Amino acid sequence: MKRLASIPWLSARVAGRYWHSRNALCHWIVLGVLAFFSTVQSQGDLPAVANRPVDFKKDIEPIFSTHCVRCHGPDKQSSGLRLDDRESALKGGENYVPAIRPKNSSESPLIRLVAGLVPEMKMPQKGEALTLEQIGLLRAWIDQGAQWPEEAKVAKALHWSLNPVVRPEVPRVANSHRKEVQPIDAFILAQLQKKRLNLGTPASRGAFVRRIYLVMHGLPPTPEQVRLFVTDKSSDAVAKLVDRVLDSPRYGERWARHWLDVVRFAESNGFETNHERSNAYHYRDYVIQSLNEDKPYNKFVQEQIAGDYWGVDSGTGFLVAGAVDIVKSPDINLTLMQRQDELADIVNTTGTAFLGLTLGCARCHDHKFDPISQKDFFGIQAVFAGVNFSDRPLRRQLSVTEQEERTILGKTRDDQKASLAALKQQGLAAQLSSLSRKSFRPPVNAQSNEEVFSSIEAKAVRFTILATTGAEPCIDELEIYDSKGTNVALAKDGTTSSASGTLAGYAIHQLKHINDGLTGNSQSWISSTSGNGWVQLDFLTPRPIQKIVWSRDRSNQFKDRVATDYRITAQLTSGEWKEIVTSQDREPFGKEDPNGFLSHLPEQEAKLARELQSQLKKSEERFSELSKGTPAWLGSFSQPKPTHRLYRGDPMQEREVVAPDAVAVLGTLGLAVDEPEQQRRIKLAEWIVNPRHPLTARVMVNRIWHYIFGTGIVDTPSDFGANGGVPTNTALLDWLADEFVRSGWSIKHIQKLILSSETFGQSSSPRKEGLANDAEARLLWRFPPRRLEAEAIRDCILATSGALDFRMGGPGFSLQIKENDNVDRYFPKEHFTTNEFRRMIYLTRIRQQQDSVFGAFDCPSGNQVIPKRTRSNTPLQALNLLNSNFVLEQSAVLSARLLQTAGSQPKSQVSEAFKLVYGREPDGFESSNSIAMIRDHGLDAFCRALFNTSEFLFVF
Amino acid sequence: MPERNHPFLNRRAFLSHSATALSGMALTHLLARDRVLASGERLPIRPQIDPANPNALRAPHFKPRAKQVLMIFSAGGCSHLDTFDYKPELIKRHGQPMPGGDKLVTFQGAQGSLTQSPWTFRPRGKCGKMVSDLVPRLGDLADQMCFIHSLTGKTNTHGPGENFMNTGFTLDGFPSIGAWTTFALGSVNENLPAYVAIPDPRGVPQSAGNCWNPGFLPAAFQGTDFNAIKPLRNLARPANISAGKDRSTREFISRLNRHHLANYPGDTELAARISSYELAAHMQLSVPEVSDISTEPAHVLKMYGADSAGDKTQEIKAGYAKNCILARRLIEKGVRFVQLFNGAYQVGGEGTSNWDGHKVLKDQYTVHGEVLDQPTAALISDLNQRGLLKDTLVVWCTEFGRMPTFQAGASGRDHNPSGFTAWLAGAGVKAPFSYGATDEFGYKSVENIATVYDFHATILQILGLDHERLSFYHNGIERRLTDVHGEVIKDILSST
Repeated sequence: MKRLASIPWLSARVAGRYWHSRNALCHWIVLGVLAFFSTVQSQGDLPAVANRPVDFKKDIEPIFSTHCVRCHGPDKQSSGLRLDDRESALKGGENYVPAIRPKNSSESPLIRLVAGLVPEMKMPQKGEALTLEQIGLLRAWIDQGAQWPEEAKVAKALHWSLNPVVRPEVPRVANSHRKEVQPIDAFILAQLQKKRLNLGTPASRGAFVRRIYLVMHGLPPTPEQVRLFVTDKSSDAVAKLVDRVLDSPRYGERWARHWLDVVRFAESNGFETNHERSNAYHYRDYVIQSLNEDKPYNKFVQEQIAGDYWGVDSGTGFLVAGAVDIVKSPDINLTLMQRQDELADIVNTTGTAFLGLTLGCARCHDHKFDPISQKDFFGIQAVFAGVNFSDRPLRRQLSVTEQEERTILGKTRDDQKASLAALKQQGLAAQLSSLSRKSFRPPVNAQSNEEVFSSIEAKAVRFTILATTGAEPCIDELEIYDSKGTNVALAKDGTTSSASGTLAGYAIHQLKHINDGLTGNSQSWISSTSGNGWVQLDFLTPRPIQKIVWSRDRSNQFKDRVATDYRITAQLTSGEWKEIVTSQDREPFGKEDPNGFLSHLPEQEAKLARELQSQLKKSEERFSELSKGTPAWLGSFSQPKPTHRLYRGDPMQEREVVAPDAVAVLGTLGLAVDEPEQQRRIKLAEWIVNPRHPLTARVMVNRIWHYIFGTGIVDTPSDFGANGGVPTNTALLDWLADEFVRSGWSIKHIQKLILSSETFGQSSSPRKEGLANDAEARLLWRFPPRRLEAEAIRDCILATSGALDFRMGGPGFSLQIKENDNVDRYFPKEHFTTNEFRRMIYLTRIRQQQDSVFGAFDCPSGNQVIPKRTRSNTPLQALNLLNSNFVLEQSAVLSARLLQTAGSQPKSQVSEAFKLVYGREPDGFESSNSIAMIRDHGLDAFCRALFNTSEFLFVF
Repeated sequence: MPERNHPFLNRRAFLSHSATALSGMALTHLLARDRVLASGERLPIRPQIDPANPNALRAPHFKPRAKQVLMIFSAGGCSHLDTFDYKPELIKRHGQPMPGGDKLVTFQGAQGSLTQSPWTFRPRGKCGKMVSDLVPRLGDLADQMCFIHSLTGKTNTHGPGENFMNTGFTLDGFPSIGAWTTFALGSVNENLPAYVAIPDPRGVPQSAGNCWNPGFLPAAFQGTDFNAIKPLRNLARPANISAGKDRSTREFISRLNRHHLANYPGDTELAARISSYELAAHMQLSVPEVSDISTEPAHVLKMYGADSAGDKTQEIKAGYAKNCILARRLIEKGVRFVQLFNGAYQVGGEGTSNWDGHKVLKDQYTVHGEVLDQPTAALISDLNQRGLLKDTLVVWCTEFGRMPTFQAGASGRDHNPSGFTAWLAGAGVKAPFSYGATDEFGYKSVENIATVYDFHATILQILGLDHERLSFYHNGIERRLTDVHGEVIKDILSST
């Protein structure tokens, strides 16, 4: 970030960061040169020269490497300046020649630029400014002759977050009253003391217990939970409270919501169709359960990327949680772009969620800020290229006994099948011999049908369809064979086609496909009329024919539109038409009597067969129960074609093939271009959770910090790149990251450390010196209060009124009524049944459809990853909380609860209400005002008011 | 460090900075105008947002040509070839195959022959602009219009197309143009929402809330959606609560809140929460007032066609006309961005409820033209006669155009993002004026090709906003309405 310390108004107003570069820098240069020479500054403005001999390698190279070479090095030479080798550095750039004047640091442009003496041109323009000590060292180096060993080349330093985590020493902090300082507090205090700040006094017990429940459960503590803690005088009261909070299933429900934001989970397809994914909740339940059982984070990551390998299919809901455009078209441009968008979404989400890397930025070109090439992007895309979007069976994990049962059952089932097949054979044989009638041919099928007849000489053949399995008939290919076994129907040999009509508007369903030699739905003919139609092939010259083969879809994907009743006629050389084959001698389609053979078996065998049938049915049911599971919206997979790098991200402009891989600057997976699909994901996941990966642990502990304190140590939780935030406390972040990995990636371990800290336990009251020096409390001189999120507000209202339904898991509830007409549309429910009083995590979240009351509270729509919610306070929020049916109904429910528990006296009603709503007793002012409110306007109105107060809606 | 993801300044900081901010801004503008800051790397200009009143008036980047926007969006892909883009060659070669068209695969597949519009084009206004009989009253306003005939889109499917025109991205979840505008500029009228989206009487458009969502911008910049039939949800005091009780309840809330705030002096967010209740109370008075079109005189209702009655079409027309009147009233009251929708999501079959005329274009467009023409024309004339076009930019657009051919075996046109028309009127643009052109059949843009990014950049320019410097950090990128693209179409701008 550019710092313009000498022009304070500009840094406050213009804020910011540099933008995608587009044009030349010439205007800068003009300004820079003018400004440089017109602002003659005295030497006194420069930081003091370091008073010691300077060593280039030790003192200077790290400065150039970290702060300069990014823009003035091998990759980029802003204004023509390079600071990576001796010759270029001493030569200077386009506007300052030379930039370094040996033995004269005060007149060296380099020094004046880094010291900010040139308006608008303070260097470096990105990242942190140089410290006074660093500038002093640079000056000393120049004044001592700017010695630069001939061979020394300066390489660009990696961004801080890409360097390995090294566990820092816990700082010793001066402290008078604290017996023992926990590491977290020591790191925090060390930073605060630099700004002459300190931690606040501890929060009251009542405030603390309310805070911890709101933060960790998203629900207020019950009066009993408050009492339990407030009256616990033991020295480990906090530790016990923390354990109680983390052991509760409410914890996983609360923190799952955070994770679902990060991975853009919602339960509809998005775009205009926006169909609901009624089976997507399995992933939501997986996240809740994983958090509740404190699943090691490395395992949590692996299961989301490749859970199918570890038998945890439900984790792979992560891959397909995003929006998908299901509107299909014969237009190849559109189809390819839709697929590319799907894959880019997975790549982007994987990068931001697990690594804090905005991989998505490298889709069209190399990343502008971070060392991620476009090739890296497509390497990771190749990892996911086999991910498909659809429901799939969710296998459950079997117990040992169930596994044994399944094995035995499989064998039993096969035996039963074999015995039954033998009996059937016996019965059919008896049937055939007993019947004199001609046996029927098998029924038609979608994949291939043969019609054999005695050879005739024909000029043309017509296939007339009289009935179908539904809709307009479809035939992908009609083949006619002569006596030599040659297909004489092909258009390339001069056979022409005609038909009763062809379905309009589809390139893939043209008449020409009937005899183009190509099969499958995409090269088929469909009649223009429902249930019937004819197609005719005329030979160039009469042919002796004796076999016809036809199919609906030779690839066996489509089984609809099959002709079930048909007749085939041939035109003889005489011109007369003759029927050669019909469907009359086939078994009726779908009407085969599976039990026909039974009546032809001796009684004993028939009884046995019936018995076997019923046993087999049971075996198969049980077996499939143990094998298949229920359909669920999770990742499904197929071996993909090779992935190409796409020029400018355009799917129509394929470039070289790219093997599945990781981000090159951080390692490689070493996989082949045609690596088996699952293997790719397994390897990528392994790479991400390698304990030495510099990002994975840092990013996750920062998320935990963010959700507890409202802002992370890095304030861009999904962007740890050069464009992201600078850590407010790098040492603390690294210590936590290291501790996280050492603890076996235990999320609860880190949470426990934080929740037990003085930093978390301090009061939220503002203090003058804090507001003056650090208004946002980024350094945590107080616990920063914040408004609750949409979901937590609704959950808190229901919990307070007593209406909250604690049922966990399974299909979600809806706050909207769905109407379906080609696309799905959703309209808000106005009245509620108890089914809608479950926690918000169980709301079936539909993209684009905000809840009519709580959507206005910055509730994300699930279309983009949301690492951090915005927090606004708007009049619409106020109106929703004042006037919505939901709040009015719940006010009445709370009012009834108060009547029941506190009786009819306003004083005790007020006392009980404050305990439920705020977890405390009212003071005198509140009590007298509340009593008056109830007397004048009733209990319902009083409850409606409480739900609208700041104290109820905020965490303090 | 200035905040990125928490755009609301701490109120203390906001107040202490406002004095210097003004002078700072002035210099920034000076630099910008001199193109000193127009280097390769341009600084975002971040709006300073008062958390207690996020939609308070803010200054633009430079002198604007217009202060308010009325954007009329015809959903479904309104055919330029049956409305505003006159192609004599299409009439001449009616029934012939389009050169190169036999191999062309568009959204629904194969093409039939070139097909002239079922409606006759005639010269309109003093300028003689050729406009079809489908929209004759809009045609009569041709002298006030600035046509862009060379727009091009990025997608040929509705959801992404509507997203693109309304948010600058084909994917779901990006901030709408109205959200960007109010984020930058706030509004003069604090008692009304700064940004109102008026859905069609038949329902929301195909991209639904995406068209007016704030995306990753704070909820304060979301379009508030209501129309003449469906009032703003939760606005009214509940029927069973008396006005007196309601007032006392609010006073009681305020007493408790202020009592509590005494322990948190200087806390921005808490103060903002209290303010939001005060703004809500103002809105409860102002929104019903502005929405009550029953106070409009009969001749106005008639002029808009709000008195239409008889069949289903006339009922829809009356509903849309009432929305047009609502739009005028909102503009009149200073609402910054009004988005008026003509056409809804797909219901009752393709092209029935919007302009998606694939199979029976003539029948369907007869209805849609009837609904759109008179009310929209009346709206523009009414704005004009009230002097409101002096400060208001009117924009008419759609997600894409349609093919010059009929689809193979059908009597309608397929989607065509390669060339389509939008028009602007009112403040900021030259009129009468036509910019850009499609080829002789109206298939592809060939002259002064314009992208949707250019279109958006131009609208922001007219509002005094530099589209390259209006950005918001999200997920690793300074996001803009125009992504990394967009050139202002200078040719169409009015002289300042």
